[in-house]
Amino acid sequence: MSVEIYQPILAKTNSASVFPVREDEPEYAKLKDPVSKEKNRYGNNIDLIASDAKPNSLNINGVDEIGPNPNRHKQHAFHFTADNCIGCHACETACSEKNDMPAHLSFRSVGYVEGGTYPNYTRMNISMACNHCDDPVCLKGCPTRAYTKHPEYGAVIQDPDICFGCGYCTWVCPYNAPQLDPIKGQVEKCNMCVDRLEVGLKPACVSACLGNALDFGVVENTPENRQQCATQIPGFPDPSITQPNIRFQQIKTLPKEVTRTDSMPIKYQKKNEGDAFKTVIDQKKGTQKYWNIKRLSSRENPLVIFTLSAQAAVGVLFTLLSSSLFKHGSLASLTTSPVYAVLLVLALALVALGLFISTVHLGKPFRFYRGFNNLKHSPVSREGLGIVLFMGFLGLHFLLTLPANEWVRARVPAITSLQGSTAGFASMFAGLALLSGLVALYYMYRCYCIKARPFWNHWHAAATFYGNMLSLGAIVCGCTATACYLLNASSPLPLWQELSTFIIAGLVLESGGLIAHARDMKNGEHEGSVSHYEQTTTFGYTYIARNTLMALNLLLATTLVFAAQLLPESLANILWILLACSIVGVALIGRSLFYILVIPTTMPGAFFWKNKGFEQHARDTGLANLPQVGVVPEHLVH
Amino acid sequence: MLFGRKKKNPIKLHDKGVQQWRYATCGYCSVGCSIELGLNAEGQAVTTRGVGGADVNRGKLCIKGLAEAAVFNASGRGTDPMMRSRIFDEFETTDWDYALDHTANEFRRIQQKYGRDAVAVVSTGQIMTEEFYTLGKLVRGLIGTNNYDGNTTLCMASAVSGYKRSFGSDGPPGCYDDFEHTNCLMAFGSNLPEQHPIIYWRLKEALEKRKFPVIVVDPRVTMFAQFADIHLPITPGTDLVLLNSMAHVIINENLHDLNYIQQSCNGFEALEKLVQQYDPTSASKICGIDEDMIRTVARLYAKADSAMSIWTMGINQSTHGTDGVCAINNLNLITGNIGKPGGTSLSITGQCNAMGTREWSSCSGLPGYRLLENPEHREEIGKFWGVDPDFFPKKAGLKETDIFPAIETGQIKALWIVATNPMTSMPNSARIRKSFEQLEFCVVQDTYADCECNQYAHVYLPGAVWAEKEGCFTNTERRVNLTRASQPAYANSKPDGWIFNQLAKRFDNYENMHFPESAEAVFEEMKQLSKGIGPNGKARILDISGMSYEKIEKSRGIQWPCRDNDESTDDKQPSPTGNRVQGTARLYTDGVFQFPDGKAKLLAMPYVENNEVPDEKFPFWLNSGRVVEHFHTRTKTGKIGNCNKFSPTAYMEMNPDAADQLGVKHMSYVRLVSRRGDAVVLVQLTHRVPINMVFIPFHFHDCVNRLSLGLLDPYSRQPAFKQGAVRIEHIDQQEAAKLNVSMRTF
Repeated sequence: MSVEIYQPILAKTNSASVFPVREDEPEYAKLKDPVSKEKNRYGNNIDLIASDAKPNSLNINGVDEIGPNPNRHKQHAFHFTADNCIGCHACETACSEKNDMPAHLSFRSVGYVEGGTYPNYTRMNISMACNHCDDPVCLKGCPTRAYTKHPEYGAVIQDPDICFGCGYCTWVCPYNAPQLDPIKGQVEKCNMCVDRLEVGLKPACVSACLGNALDFGVVENTPENRQQCATQIPGFPDPSITQPNIRFQQIKTLPKEVTRTDSMPIKYQKKNEGDAFKTVIDQKKGTQKYWNIKRLSSRENPLVIFTLSAQAAVGVLFTLLSSSLFKHGSLASLTTSPVYAVLLVLALALVALGLFISTVHLGKPFRFYRGFNNLKHSPVSREGLGIVLFMGFLGLHFLLTLPANEWVRARVPAITSLQGSTAGFASMFAGLALLSGLVALYYMYRCYCIKARPFWNHWHAAATFYGNMLSLGAIVCGCTATACYLLNASSPLPLWQELSTFIIAGLVLESGGLIAHARDMKNGEHEGSVSHYEQTTTFGYTYIARNTLMALNLLLATTLVFAAQLLPESLANILWILLACSIVGVALIGRSLFYILVIPTTMPGAFFWKNKGFEQHARDTGLANLPQVGVVPEHLVH
Repeated sequence: MLFGRKKKNPIKLHDKGVQQWRYATCGYCSVGCSIELGLNAEGQAVTTRGVGGADVNRGKLCIKGLAEAAVFNASGRGTDPMMRSRIFDEFETTDWDYALDHTANEFRRIQQKYGRDAVAVVSTGQIMTEEFYTLGKLVRGLIGTNNYDGNTTLCMASAVSGYKRSFGSDGPPGCYDDFEHTNCLMAFGSNLPEQHPIIYWRLKEALEKRKFPVIVVDPRVTMFAQFADIHLPITPGTDLVLLNSMAHVIINENLHDLNYIQQSCNGFEALEKLVQQYDPTSASKICGIDEDMIRTVARLYAKADSAMSIWTMGINQSTHGTDGVCAINNLNLITGNIGKPGGTSLSITGQCNAMGTREWSSCSGLPGYRLLENPEHREEIGKFWGVDPDFFPKKAGLKETDIFPAIETGQIKALWIVATNPMTSMPNSARIRKSFEQLEFCVVQDTYADCECNQYAHVYLPGAVWAEKEGCFTNTERRVNLTRASQPAYANSKPDGWIFNQLAKRFDNYENMHFPESAEAVFEEMKQLSKGIGPNGKARILDISGMSYEKIEKSRGIQWPCRDNDESTDDKQPSPTGNRVQGTARLYTDGVFQFPDGKAKLLAMPYVENNEVPDEKFPFWLNSGRVVEHFHTRTKTGKIGNCNKFSPTAYMEMNPDAADQLGVKHMSYVRLVSRRGDAVVLVQLTHRVPINMVFIPFHFHDCVNRLSLGLLDPYSRQPAFKQGAVRIEHIDQQEAAKLNVSMRTF
């Protein structure tokens, strides 16, 4: 291998870089890629910009020099020889030391899978950080555009000063590379040690490796003394998701089944030698069913509220506007009654509440305005914009309907004269609001189309969101009208009869989605099936209760449509209200389950580190109060 | 390709603001890595890095070294001397003069009342060689107790005894460079990847250049066992049987090096006769390794052009520890594998300066491998120090493991503990606690005030740590390496050498002696003592007279012997510092050993079964060992998040099949019970351990050593930590969790 091409780097020790090459810098720390291929296996160019393009400085910490690394415009990648990793934590610690990480965070983590029977036992350690993917889903997902993929080394670098701490990148990344610091409320991640690369040095983790497992260089180059440049090892997510820039060597025979020591009920199996390992359920907690009602409440509670209230708000408008299509009936009369304004205010309040809660949920709420920075790629940005537009148009619609409002007219007679000129605009904004709302809900659904989270990545999310829009929207209308009608001593029953169409449609849509979801998850060979295992065990009774209630709701709604006239009016009213409460309850439980059950395609953890089970135990018992345990206690979470 | 922003933002990376780097030797284990401390503008050490051109670590560091800058400001550091009259009183802060006056007065009072040996000193492997030498001078020359030992009795004593019995002297004959030359490596009870990751890396580098067979003997499937070509999952404590049987095969199949044996060894006939009892068929029944495998391994080892053995606690911490070491030496002597590149018996040592204390602390005798039993040595040292030779005892006193029983029986009334933590590290902690309670006076000198044995101290003296002081460590391969003081001592703590010097001033005869102020001056004094003629009539091996602080730093450590005017240079590693002094890579290259006749001893050692083994009441082997992220009793690493987080609490490895039978669940607590006491641990189920064994990392206070028996090796007095029997009981999970949290709180 030629080292000569790096002579200019070695000579340039007067660099202002944070990491000048030392005079006695060991050879293993130096990058050595005298040749490289043109395209990677995914067909992408390894040269990231044209060879005659003007090089730019990376401007690292205010140093504006251009690194002398001759390969700086080539995509670089880690190479991990899993057969060699001894799990000594040197890579993790070198990284934490260089990046000044607190104990509870780490850009790189080592976990393991194990298998076999004593003494024919194998443990395979896996060290994993950011893979600086060709298709960086973090960059696409980030609503604030905190991520940049640089044409220098292909490094995907995140700027914590831009990040507002929504954590969406931590959802979409299949490797758990972006680290959400619950104390600082922002994300940070591996920066490929670009300061070291600029002077021709391998990243800190690679240079620190004591098992000769980690290596680094231009992608698709097989390092010296290595034979394999594969894209998969057991425990590593499907590389087609992001086209990660990591290659593996794993040629020693592994047992046909390897398990994880962390609490994740996942193991990996292969049928025959040479087959790839598949993710299957490891029934670590048996098949016993539990309620675990308390655990329904999680740090995603704000999102439960946000999504449901936004769906309800859009649903209210949807109900009102569709009813205005009818000329007769209770719904039609609703649109001309003062209740209409009350409902608009309620819808506005619901969406405002949702937005407020989801903003406060951010790690850095005051940076909320950055949420629309990435309309080009991020469903989060689009969802956010849709919701804000919905709210804005709805507000304008509300203002412009005031001249037609009897209650307002009675108090401000002068406003009556405006009715003629506002009515048209009012309708236009109503239409725009509904359109924005529906689009917002679509992108809300798109937010959960995450390949790294198979439990979410299913059309049932759309069915549930639109289904809840229909049912919750109708319920809000129905309950509000009931309150107003009862005050006026008129009967809300005819209205409920008409709203029942929306309610039943919503329930049918949602339950249809859930049935298909359960079927697909059960039969899947991925983390989604593991989520389903959790759903039917850890939350088994809760899940059954939710499903039963949902079926009963559908039954009750249908029955009431046909049988309400046979009942005394007060009883019918009570039953409708009960149904409404039950639907809201089911929606809350269902949405909470949706969030807590998702199992991402993360890497295997160790017994303590990156083990959700131990983290929970440390929080529950107070062990987490010792900062050196590396688990953030509940009271310090932002 | 998708790049995101067209106009790229500047990149901000964490920068600890290192302004200068200061040279040191890592203060954790005995690998002896050269390390540089990065000081920021305020002079505060904020990070570390491996020294690129150092031959030992070649720029690498393990997890502990990488996070080592955090030791200076870790919680629990002692700020001031503290005193109290009774152990149930609160400590009160005092000044150094008063604390030292009181200590000296109490030692004198107790010695006058109960005799000179009623004061005991238990030292360490953690402080600098110059400090060891000074402590030895103080204890042997002024205090005058013979009950003076280091905690190396818990880790390296069997290696020392074994080297002495086989070769006539302590001093590991090999070096890490032997990996580059060997044709077969056999590791006994040594888990390099976790215990000595840098040595493992050196081995890995050698293996990547040139494949040779690696054989690992370990009852547990460690990473090393897993990576070995041949893993021998031996029955605990039976290494001697395996080794005798290997010798049987080698001798009976005529694979031994008769020339070498005739030239350099005594005792072959007795060995040959003894090993006839250890034919592989009979041996396999005891040691659990099948007879074919014993033959395969013996032949492989004997036929290799050069073969080397390394070992660690799996051998040393056994009732047959010294015999095991001697049997390894036998193996290498009969195959002619001592003193040649790639052929050696290399004990992989434990603490950063276990070697320094063995060489210079006078614990087991007098400095520089001199013996109390030898009147010439007493005479020589007495004259050199200004001490009446008759003041020295005529034979070595008690070892640490005998000192505590002597406290128990009332022979010892005062104890001075220097930088060690017997409350966690000694076997059978309940017995150690009782011993502590018997003491009339106890001094604990330690960097950390929360060191567990401080619970029983009357006087606490806060010591400075690592690079707050200057001085040398000697590593596993006899390499003397330097630590420069780069930090001021924390708060009102003081370097241990300063404490020894100040205490010395308070004893009679001080004015006739000389205690140099600076570490370098002490080193110069030691150099004088290191010269001379050894027991075999040749130049002494422990000769450091060719070294100086400047040469050591420049050479990134020098291996002894390095005699005056030794100009041999070493150009293996790039050196920005100019020419290095090489020192001596290997001992006994001429086949001449340290016995008067120059011949090594082959020892005939029968295996005696005296372990506590599993039975019906206590059906599990209790095995203990190290994890990579922790050092010893966790007084340092337990407070450093980036180390501690990888195992923040006590746990045990247990076989899933055994757990199934008992209904024990992964990540649940169980109570372990032995004949000594009980302990609560989290369960990690793994097939790393056999169905009848549990493995517990020994680092945690009030854990494995509440259970351990620690029968003593007859020669080294080292405890058999790794052999004992326990049973497993269920425990209320919430109570156990509460208990666990309280035990882990610093």
